[in-house]
Amino acid sequence: MSEISKLTELRKLLLNMEQSMGLQDLSTVERDVYYAASDHAVHVGAVKTTLLQDHALLANVSRPTFFRALKSLQGKGYLEQCKNSVRGYYIVKTPTR
Amino acid sequence: MATETTGAVLRLTKETGIVSLAYLIAFFVTFEILMPVQALFFPDFTSRASLLFLPHGVRVLAAWLLGWRSILGLLPGVIFVFFYMAGWGALAPSRLAAIAVAVTIPALVFQLLRLLGRDLSPATGRSPCWLCILGVGLVISLLSSLLTNYIFGSAPEDYIAYLIGDVFGLFFLMLILMLIFRSLRRYHI
Repeated sequence: MSEISKLTELRKLLLNMEQSMGLQDLSTVERDVYYAASDHAVHVGAVKTTLLQDHALLANVSRPTFFRALKSLQGKGYLEQCKNSVRGYYIVKTPTR
Repeated sequence: MATETTGAVLRLTKETGIVSLAYLIAFFVTFEILMPVQALFFPDFTSRASLLFLPHGVRVLAAWLLGWRSILGLLPGVIFVFFYMAGWGALAPSRLAAIAVAVTIPALVFQLLRLLGRDLSPATGRSPCWLCILGVGLVISLLSSLLTNYIFGSAPEDYIAYLIGDVFGLFFLMLILMLIFRSLRRYHI
């Protein structure tokens, strides 16, 4: 696991803490989409939507809910649509960027 | 093969630098800022133990993230702190034993949990659990406090002070990091 992914794991842990304390601005589905995106981003950089939908954390999330969460995460600055690629690819925003 | 070895050594060096630096920052904040404040609020508390020991948080989080590699990561920082506090007395057998306890117990506890079927280490597809980390931090603190104070032959109140300091230290370190990440996110950094 690289240094960036360690930072991402630490960030995920503290997001979990934030939500438990009622301070976080993400819903459970949004958080799981973000976690899934973080997992994939570690291996491949940009994340493809179809890969995200297949992630274990999102197995029980319906398609409309998934896309609503994806859009909301973009709006909140957690995910950014990849500019140098075709549609459907996202970059996970981390504090190191 | 040689490139892989060089890469692994570089990664280990970088991890060690980051973890030990974090440990030193947490130590100096605890001893140079928090302990004088503690002395103001609890003038009757004579123990040298900090009631908000942030370095415990660094030990727990490093062991959670790095596993066994956290031993190497923490070692330079912990040795420096012992030399800073005790000078060459850091080489006394009791202090060397305390150094060994400080760096090995966190990784050992996470490893034991893994063997017992409760693997908390970060992995793809696994949601982190901050309360579990806090719970493990308590177990690590219990073991470290018992062993360290036994080695030093401390008074019973020190056992309790270590425990309180460690648990509050871990919680507040996580809280500080949470607020830092929250601020970074707010400014889209």
